[in-house]
Amino acid sequence: MSTSVSTGGASTAPELSAARQAEADEEEVANISLESITEGKNERGIPATKFLDDIELFANSFNPPASSELLIGAYSDLYSKFKAYEQQLEQKRATYQEKLPEIEKSISLVRHLKSKKDADETVITRYNLADTIYSKAEVDCSQGIVNLWLGANVMLEYTYDEALELLISKQLVAQNDYKEVKEDLTFTRNQIITSEVNISRIYNWDVRRKREAKFAGSK
Amino acid sequence: MPDADGMILSKDEENDAEVRREDQDRINEFGRLNARLHEVRDEVKKLNNLLEKIEDASTELMMGNGDRVMLRLGEAMFEATEDEATEFCEIEMERHQKMVDKLNEEEADILEQQSGLKKLLYGRFGKSINLEER
Repeated sequence: MSTSVSTGGASTAPELSAARQAEADEEEVANISLESITEGKNERGIPATKFLDDIELFANSFNPPASSELLIGAYSDLYSKFKAYEQQLEQKRATYQEKLPEIEKSISLVRHLKSKKDADETVITRYNLADTIYSKAEVDCSQGIVNLWLGANVMLEYTYDEALELLISKQLVAQNDYKEVKEDLTFTRNQIITSEVNISRIYNWDVRRKREAKFAGSK
Repeated sequence: MPDADGMILSKDEENDAEVRREDQDRINEFGRLNARLHEVRDEVKKLNNLLEKIEDASTELMMGNGDRVMLRLGEAMFEATEDEATEFCEIEMERHQKMVDKLNEEEADILEQQSGLKKLLYGRFGKSINLEER
């Protein structure tokens, strides 16, 4: 993703200051709860990063007013949580990307068998006997029966139509789950970007504030 | 920790424009489009590979001498006549070509939306924001 927002020089500095402050702030961090930096959830309970309209106001809403280091620390924590969750979702997405074509393959196979049955032909196949061995077999389609592997060491006999019905309903469920995972992924990525932008903005707010304080002091 | 590309801007390049809610939404949208763009490009690459394979198979079938051939469906291979196999290839070709066409359209659409967002965001934040690929 190329949406790093570097508003006025928020580079590695927050990292350093956050590390320096980490020990001193450990008790203080506990004061910033997840609720105060997030707002609302999506349909599946993923919290949304709170967008800060006014950082000054937000910092002063804590008692005592939160320091920039504390706020950056809190948002960095949130950021890494979202990052970890993003990875989880990516893995989930990958399993669906594998599962869906498999179901599709099974469906096209049953359709093939069915068309052969309707044409009153026998199917001659080379099937995978062992990893590197293919064996020849003649399949009698006239019975119109196929076995589906249901997992958990169970295989059940179905007629072609029943098998198609089951496979298609499984495909629909998988497609729907896949869609949800993709939505969650988009949502999570938005929260990651919002957290990044918040961190940069808090840092810049702090820089500006300190600059103003220095300017006022030198007069 | 997010890295901000290690850019420190000189003072006169700094931009004090506040990030408003709508700006944040635009930035998020840009990021989403970018992620999708990469997915679309990957998928097109995969599909094109597949199309090439099917095309090779069709060519081989044309050069064949009318014997029965083996067609691979799922994990097993099935005997089929050349005509059946050719028809299978044609249907598969068409199906995948449609998918590729759709994805190419989507890519053009994404790029258009992104350039619109870029104009808006660069206009507001100037050098303070970086929307280019690393």
